[in-house]
Amino acid sequence: MISSHDDLDPVWRALANPLRRQILDLLREHPRTTGEIADALGDSRFVVMQHLASLREAALVTVEVDGRRRINYLNPVPIQRIYERWVGKYQGDWASALVGLKRSVEFNTASHHDRRRKPKNG
Amino acid sequence: MDERQIHVVEIRAPIATVWAEITKLRHIQKPMFNTVLETDFRPGSRMIYRSDDGKRVFIIGEVREFVPPTRFVHTFRFTNLPETPTLVEWQLEESDGMTKVTVTHSKFIDQQKTADSVRTSWTTILGNIKSVVETGDVPLGTRIKHGLMDTFMFMAPKETLRENIAELRQANRGGDHGKG
Repeated sequence: MISSHDDLDPVWRALANPLRRQILDLLREHPRTTGEIADALGDSRFVVMQHLASLREAALVTVEVDGRRRINYLNPVPIQRIYERWVGKYQGDWASALVGLKRSVEFNTASHHDRRRKPKNG
Repeated sequence: MDERQIHVVEIRAPIATVWAEITKLRHIQKPMFNTVLETDFRPGSRMIYRSDDGKRVFIIGEVREFVPPTRFVHTFRFTNLPETPTLVEWQLEESDGMTKVTVTHSKFIDQQKTADSVRTSWTTILGNIKSVVETGDVPLGTRIKHGLMDTFMFMAPKETLRENIAELRQANRGGDHGKG
């Protein structure tokens, strides 16, 4: 199996900083320019730009250039991958039980109908 | 409201492999929640994502651009939501053996329902494309979701049934709808 563990290293590094997590929270509300992020955080534009670079490296933020403005978007895909890797397998129990239950209910209902439609001898 | 969403994933594979998964016809696309893409890719042509058995159509749109292996643009409407079509742009770039996939979804005009619904879906779909291309299958969580969706398919809105979709009824009269 091709391991993609290393892919997540920049994601962990980026998430390890509280200011960067705050930036992600802001972008979760809606996309913002770098200036808007600096204003919202009351931090210098320079500091915010450094943190955005780290978030971009981890692909947690993606930038779209619109004329002279650079608009930052939250990209939650890497976080989804963290979720799938550590949490996804624990969803299994209840969800597969539910599917199993549903299937057996359907099976019983279906075979009940079958019996009524074409009764078999014996 | 004119929301715009951008989702990105980097995949350790050549661009041709990733492109082939995204534009695969006739067989289910596991990352796209086990749907089958049906279209001839010509700009102006219809495109749909349908159930494997062909009875239900979940997404309907029109091809706008098709430039292998870098760009696929189409309109997008959930068949169960009576909203005007939105726009989906797939963009692929390769560098150093990695392929970057960017999906930009825009033209949501007062369409909070579609916008909310696709935001989580694209996150899952792009993660799944990476997983399928790199490991051959979608993650366990998604496989379970697919199982649930199959099981509850009979409860899906009747608007998703092929015979209830006005655009497809007209197309069928023309006669040449491609069957997988």
